[in-house]
Formats: sequence, structure tokens, C-alpha cells
Amino acid sequence: MSDPVPLTTDHPGQVASATPPAPGGSRRLSDRWLAVAFISPALLLLLAMSVFPLLWALYLSFTDYSATRGGAAHFVWFENYTAILTSAQVHLRALTTLIYVVGAVVLQTVLGFTIAYLISRRTHGRGLLTTLFLVPMMLSPVVVGLFWRFMLDAQFGVINSMLGSLGLEQVEWLTRQRTALFSLIVVDTWQWTPFIMLIALAGLTAVPKYLYEAASIDRASEWFRFRTITLPLVWPLLLIAVLFRAIEAFRLFDLVYILTSGGPGVSTETLSFHVYKVAFLGFNTGTASAYGILMVLIVIVLTQLYLRYLNKLKED
Amino acid sequence: MRYPKRIGRLSVPRRKVQLATAAMLLATTMAACGQDDGASAPKAPAAIPELTKDPLTLSFIWFEWPPAQALEAFANAEYKKERPNVTVKVKTVPNANWHDAMFTQFAAHKTDFDIAILDSQHIGEAVTNGNILDLTDFVKKNIDVKAYNPYLLAAYGQFPQAETGKRDENASLYGLPLLGDTWTMIYRKDLIGDKPPQTWDEMISAAEKCQSENPGVSGLAFHQANGSDAAAVTYNTVNGVYGGNLWDAKSRKIEGVLNDAAGQEAMDVLVNKMKPLTAKGSGNWFIDEVNAAVAQGKACIAFNWIAASGGLLDPKESTLGATREEILGKLGFATLPTQKTNLVPLGGMGMHVSAYSAEANQAEALNFMKWFEQADVQKKWAAAGGVPSRTDALQSPEFLNAGPFNKVYADSVPRMRDMWNVPEYARLVDIENTNVNAALNGAKKPKDALDDIAKEQQRVLDSSGGKGGGGL
Amino acid sequence: MAISVDEAVSTGPARDHTPPARRFGGRGRAVLEVALLAVLAVVMLFPVLWMIETSIKENRDVYAIPAKFFGFKVTLDHFKDVFVASGGGRSALSAAFLNSVVVAGVSTALATVLGVPAAWAYSRFSVKAKKDQLFFILSTRFMPPVVVVIPIFLMYRQVGLIDNKLGLILIYTAFNVPFTIWMMKGFVDEVPAEYEDAAMLDGYTRLQAFWRFTLPLLLPGIAATAVFALIFSWNEFVFAIFLTSSDSVRTAPPAIAGLIGGTTVDWGLVAAASIVFALPVLVFAYLVRKHLVAGVTLGAVRR
Repeated sequence: MSDPVPLTTDHPGQVASATPPAPGGSRRLSDRWLAVAFISPALLLLLAMSVFPLLWALYLSFTDYSATRGGAAHFVWFENYTAILTSAQVHLRALTTLIYVVGAVVLQTVLGFTIAYLISRRTHGRGLLTTLFLVPMMLSPVVVGLFWRFMLDAQFGVINSMLGSLGLEQVEWLTRQRTALFSLIVVDTWQWTPFIMLIALAGLTAVPKYLYEAASIDRASEWFRFRTITLPLVWPLLLIAVLFRAIEAFRLFDLVYILTSGGPGVSTETLSFHVYKVAFLGFNTGTASAYGILMVLIVIVLTQLYLRYLNKLKED
Repeated sequence: MRYPKRIGRLSVPRRKVQLATAAMLLATTMAACGQDDGASAPKAPAAIPELTKDPLTLSFIWFEWPPAQALEAFANAEYKKERPNVTVKVKTVPNANWHDAMFTQFAAHKTDFDIAILDSQHIGEAVTNGNILDLTDFVKKNIDVKAYNPYLLAAYGQFPQAETGKRDENASLYGLPLLGDTWTMIYRKDLIGDKPPQTWDEMISAAEKCQSENPGVSGLAFHQANGSDAAAVTYNTVNGVYGGNLWDAKSRKIEGVLNDAAGQEAMDVLVNKMKPLTAKGSGNWFIDEVNAAVAQGKACIAFNWIAASGGLLDPKESTLGATREEILGKLGFATLPTQKTNLVPLGGMGMHVSAYSAEANQAEALNFMKWFEQADVQKKWAAAGGVPSRTDALQSPEFLNAGPFNKVYADSVPRMRDMWNVPEYARLVDIENTNVNAALNGAKKPKDALDDIAKEQQRVLDSSGGKGGGGL
Repeated sequence: MAISVDEAVSTGPARDHTPPARRFGGRGRAVLEVALLAVLAVVMLFPVLWMIETSIKENRDVYAIPAKFFGFKVTLDHFKDVFVASGGGRSALSAAFLNSVVVAGVSTALATVLGVPAAWAYSRFSVKAKKDQLFFILSTRFMPPVVVVIPIFLMYRQVGLIDNKLGLILIYTAFNVPFTIWMMKGFVDEVPAEYEDAAMLDGYTRLQAFWRFTLPLLLPGIAATAVFALIFSWNEFVFAIFLTSSDSVRTAPPAIAGLIGGTTVDWGLVAAASIVFALPVLVFAYLVRKHLVAGVTLGAVRR
């Protein structure tokens, strides 16, 4: 891919600073001291608030500890882990989560990219359009969840009211197995399509014009141009956005809590929601910790992927 | 990197990381091991200790609903007359968050409330963990236990749980009744007639007839949600009415008891006879949705907690009439129909003293409870919109005239049955909620749902510690 | 450069190319595209409009079937109810808003104070295992809150931070510091290091150079970063609902969620509270529109 206007993130200025003035010994010392002084408070906070709790959770994950029952924690070693990994209940939640993550991310990617593409082809009113499209993304999941719950209400909701006006059947959006999960996906898509759109738009506007001009001269078809010029240039950026959304969707809790609280039955219970129940309904802290550690492992793998693509994007 | 030459190495942060990590690991182990508290409820004194003269705020925790505001207003108006230096604050949390909010604070061994208003079923968990005071001696000395229906007194305080309809006088008491409650049947007099259906079968056919005669109005409205104890109470009620049992408390057996023939019949009635008469999409309804359906004139017969029904008479929220009288011309309130038994669900909550609140506050809490359980105060509480528990207050005109559903409550008292009151309650009710909800919404076959409930609940009762993977 | 909305839509290499020989009527296609865009815009914005409508409707119109889009009586009562309790005095919601302001404000300030110097240090110095450190920092931000809240709960219980504003502030700071570092590192990278080098040749120490020459240039970036941190803390729900319960500590998101699940649901009030709650975020987001892409990707994608 020959890209004369790279999508790099780092400033080109840093190349020029490759030959700094020769430093004196004392300055080196003070630099080192400065770096330590500047970095360590932040790292210490993260150690205290992220690493330490996770290590604690790791320890508890090998025990049968319960936060309310008190009493000493007994080591059960890997029993929590094997119980979780072999539990049909957990497999069910994993499948639900997978469907949810894939469904939501695919839908919002397609929609977000479409909107970005359409906006990028307009010359007027783009600023306003983009700004308006971004509103859902800024809302709190609580607000989004509550309001959609109201709109999707089978009896009093505006969606069914509109369907009724069109002469269509009422739909039980939140109380049927298929529709409830679908509704969850739709609401998440509504909120996060703007995110994909924003990033796709950034990619699309960066595609240099002359590439298209050259293609025009070649009389290349529209689809051909899209496939060979637009997509390859936007794809790396889009991939970042997709992975980012996948991580976020995997972590999702609030929307489920408010929109369906996992129902009907347990058909919209995601892993996050299940781990909450284990942790706070039965206060099976040991099991919940093991469950959490497994989820963290998945997040770390996804984050690794994300960073790898990010680095690739930067190096291109 | 930018300045490779200038700075040779900067390994300090990393070394620090390792050091800190080691230190924290150590701290973790110590902290976790130091968490040993021989769990048994501390005792409250028999006599109320001397009360403070300094200003004091007595805090309750409850969930957000009208009785919470009623209690705060009532206590500040009446209790202040006796104790001018005390202000009562009723803290509220969302219903869905109620159990979590109380028990996370209990787990923290620090509560921002002095009196926890626990559901009867929460007592087991709180007592086993030592979260609330043992009031046995206090009650003996300060409370006139003969003034109560024994089961009502036991339901909100006794642990181990009382047998339905009885009180075990040798068992300890951990709470006193605050607000009694049960389900009432709410029916449209203008649509099905003045006389309420007497049996469950009659009720179903009346609803069926009403629904077919009144397009746009559904026959039934009841709790189906998978949160709180919504769908579970609904099933338990039908189960009781059809002669089923939730469990055998003595042998701790659920499997084979809950899902016996009577239990299966109850599930079948609920899913195949009652559910088809409800509004489309009502599968996530709880208190407020049922109220909305009634107020909007969308249900012939509805079931709801009495304490949550007051709003139905508010003309501002209702389309049934412009005045309270007009609404009452259309809405009737009755005790639940009977079938094989006349059981009704026990609702309501008791007052329980937090083991972690300050001594002065615990003393004040005891004093408040003693004050609250007096005959005249109970009558005033009834007049203020509360549901008392003393028999004299229940039969007083102050109570019976305060709301159209109050007679329903008074009549229901001898018919009540509670759920399991065990430390595993939260897990048990979640299993039942999700499965009944699944059955009601077609996500599971009724029989499978009931068998799953019995199997999973039995597993929870049987697995007490020592094994990994508990709570899945 | 970080992407800006304005830029993306006006000065970018726009594709207003007028290529020859369109296959099926250029105009027809443009109309189709505009129509499609309009439909998508309506779909995306409808819920927001509906929320606004609901907030100014009387309760009986809120439940009306079929839904009333026009011709309802406008009332501002719900907005009044957001701030004023039914019996007079301040409502619990308004107290929750105030708590949100304190928690979000302080945690953002803390994250900025801790994060900006760290970002500068990571940008300027060659720190050992820098990539690993930065990865570690970023990954802490991606931890599922429901998982983190379990050990945090145990930890806070030891030190008495449950149901305490400081507890929320600390955990929000911890989630905002990684964001601040990643976002600010990008901004620092954009400021040429020569400025500092030149200043140091003039006899300033590096710290002075940072303070006097680099920091002022970073201010717009710091403002943008802080705004995103503020939005995160403002909207956060999971920690808030599990770590707090009393009115004096509870922030707005759990308070708004608590509006449903009583005996009646006042959707008008829910809508009004949501709007009041969302407005500051929308205003702030508008202010930082130049840095939106960077902001929503933790500064990772800056173009």
C-alpha cells in the first residue's frame, strides 16, 4: 500500500530531534529523577487500584471465600476454575455474550461505515450532520437503557405504537428470547454506531483525492475504486474501532442491568451480568473472583490484538 | 525512542513495581486471613440503655416506594413528640438494588443505617452472618407479644424460620414487624360485577370472559419480572393455592417437593391458563407496571401488594375517574380467591437493628421499636397509611377505614405463607425468578422450568462451603 | 493532528469529485444518498427527540395510545420535579447531581495532575520497557468494571471507603489516569522537544523548561483530555451502584436508575432528569469536538 499521507499518529517533528545536545552527567541524573518522579505517582495509583485488587482477586479465586459469611478462606485451588469452565450455565452465558458482541459490533460497523461514507460524499452541512449523529454516544448507558426500555415497552412504547399505526403486529421487544437479545443489540448499536462513524469518517477524509482522480482516468468502476482505494486505506483504522468496540461490548453490564436484567429467563444474561449475580447475590466471592480473572484474561488477549493493530497502523 | 543516548537506564519504576507488588501480596494475604469473625448475631440488651440528649439521626434503609416516605413523615411527626432531639431519616435505594445495598454494607461491617428494613426472607442471611442484633431478651421485657397474631410476630423476626401459621416460642427473635403486607386482588367492578370471584377457577373464567367482552383490556395483570422476587412470589402464590409446598423445611428437601403433582399443576395453571390472559409484553412487569395497567384501565383483574396499591386511588395517575370515589366505583379490592387451600403470600417487612451502628443509635433504635409497637402508635401508623401488625390495631376503625384494601389485609392475616428464610435465600429466589420468568415468556417449557428450579435450588441448599464453584 | 469534526467535514480532501460518465444518473444517485442519509439521521435522532417530547408532556399523554407526537399540552413540571422535592426543598435528584459534580470534578483533576506529567515523561525520556509499561497502563483501563468492583469492594471495606465519595473519586481517577496518559502522550509528542532543548541551552533546568515552555502549549490538549475524563466519571454507573447507597454520596446515574422500580413510574420525570443529566456532557463534547476521535479511543487513534 503506497500511502503518501500516512495515517501515523506520532508527530514527524520527532525525527528532527534525533541529535540532541550532548548531555552532561548531572542532567542525566536529574532527567532520570524527573522521569521517576513524574511517572511513579501514576503507576503507584494504578498498582494500588488496579493491580493490587486483581492480585487479591487472583488469590481469592483459589479459595471458597465469601465476603459476607466471613470465616477464613479455604484453599480449593483450581476447583473454582474447573467448575466455571465446565458449567453449562457459564457456557450458555458465553454463547449469549458472543452473539451479542458479534451482532452488535457487526451491525454498528456496517451502519457506521455507511453513514460515514454517505456523509463524506456530501459537501454541505457535514459539520452539523456529524455533530447530530454523535449525540447518542455521549449519553450515559443508564439514560440510554431507561429510555429505550420505555420506547420498547410492548403496551405503552412508541415503537409498538408506530408499528400499530402502520397496521403491523405488536412486538414483545424485551420479553421474548430472540427479540430481547436483538433489542439489546439494537440499543447498543444505536448508541455506538456514531463511534464507528466518527473513526471511519476520519479514515475516509484522509484518502487523498488524487488517488481517485487517477482511478477516474482509468475509468475504474465505482465498486473497483471503493474496493481498491477506499477500503484498504480505511480498513486499518476501522479495525481499531471494531476491536475497541468488541472489548467494550464484552465488558458491558449497565445496559443489560437496566434494559432486561438478563431476562426473559436468563436469555440476555451476559458474562458480566452473570459474574455480578455470583458475586453479589450469593456472595460467592471466591467463585466470582475466578470468573472475573477468566474474563480479564479474555480482555487482555483482545487488548493485545488491539495494540498490535494500533502499532501496525502507526508504523505504516 | 527519542533520547536513547541521554538516558541510559530507567529501571527504577520497574524495581519499584516489583517491590510494591510483593508488599501488596503480603498485605492481601494478611487482610484476607484477618477477616475471621465468628459469625453469630450479637445480643441486644434486655433493657433499653440510657438514651442520649444530644441531637441524633436515626436512619432506616428501605427501597423507594410510598410507604418509605410515609414512615419518615409519620416518625418525624409522632416520635419527635417523645424524643425531640431525634430526627428520623428513611434512606431509600432502588428496589432492584435493595438486597445488594444492605448486604454489601453488612459485608463492609459499616452501615449508614441503624435499622435495616429487611424482607422476612433476608433474616436468615443476616442472622447467620451476624449482621443484626438478637432481640429475644429485649422483646421479652419490652413487647407485649400476646397482642400479635403469633405467626405475624414470628414472620418478621424469628430464626430459624417459623412453621407456617405458628411461632416457636423457644426460637430467637431478630426483628419486629414494621409493615404488614399481602397480595390483594384488584378487580373492575364495572366489568366483572361487584362480587369478586371466590375460587381461582372462577377468577380465571371471569378474566377470560371480561377480556373477550372488552377489546383492548386484558383479563389479568400480575408480577412476571425476573428481578427482585417478582415472578417467584407469583408462582409461590399459585403453588400455595393449589396445595403445593415450596420445600420440606425439616429435611431441607426441595427436589421432589416443589415439583410434585400439585406444584406441576400450579405451574401449568400459571403458564397455560393465566399467562394467556395477560397483556402482550407483560413478561417483565412488576409492581409499577401492574399499577399502570390498572390505572390506564387495561386490566380486568390484577394482583399486587397492598402497600403498593395506594397510588391506584390517585385521580392524577388514573384514567378511571376524576375523583377517588369515582375510581372506587370501578375498582374493587378483595382477598385472593381460594382453590385447594386459602393461602396468600406473606409480604411486608420488619425492623432489624444493625450490629454495626453506634451504641447510642442502637439504643435509640430499640427505643423507637418499643414506642412503635404500642397500641395507640400502631393505630396512628394505620391512619397515616401504614399497615400495623398488632391485632388490636388491625381491627381498629382507624385502620379499616384508612383504605379500601385494609380490610383485605386484616382478613388475610390468618392465611399467610412465607418463602424459605435461609441464608441462601438470594440464590434460591434468583433461580426461581429466572426460571418462572422463562416459563412465562416461552423460553422454557413449564415442566422443565419447575424441575430446573427444584434441581438447582436443591443443589444450592446441599452445597455448603468447602467446594469450589459455589454460586454458579 | 487529531481529527476534528469541522476539519473532517470541510477542509479534508473532500470527495466532491465530478467524475465523468456516471453510470446511472449522477443526480438520481445523489438524491438517493441524501434520502438515505436523512432516513438514518431521523432514526438515530428520534429517541432523543422522543425523550425531549416526553419530558414536556403531562403524565396522561405520556401513556397515550397511539403515541402523541404533536398537539399535547406542554408542561415544565417534570423539570421542576428534578430539582424541587414534592414537599418543597431540594430533591434527592438534585443532591445526586451535586455529588456527581464533586466526584467527577475531583477525580478529573486528580487524573490530570497524575497523568499529564507521566505522559510527558513517557514522551520525552526513554524509559525502560516503555512499550510494556504503556500496554500495562492501557490494559488496566479495559478491565471489566463488574470484575474490578469485587476486590475493590473488599479493599474499601478494610479502609472504610464504602459509601464514601473519596472511594468513588479514587476508582474513577484510576480509570482516568491511563486514558490521560495515552491521550496526553499524543499531545506531548506533537510539541517538538527542541523547545525544551533550546530552553535548557539557555540555562533552564528540564523541569523549568517543561513548566514554562511545554506546558502552556499543552493546555488545549489538557483541557480536551480533562473533558473526556469528566464525561467518563459523569456517566459511570457500575461502581456507583455497587459502592454507594446513601443519598449524600450517590451520584446521578444510580439516582436516575432509581426512578423506576417503585410503585409507579414517572417517565416524564425520567426523561427530564436524563436531559438535565446529559446536557453538560453534550456541551462539553461540543467544546472538544476537535479531539473527538482521539478522545473516544483513549487517545489511541489520532490520525
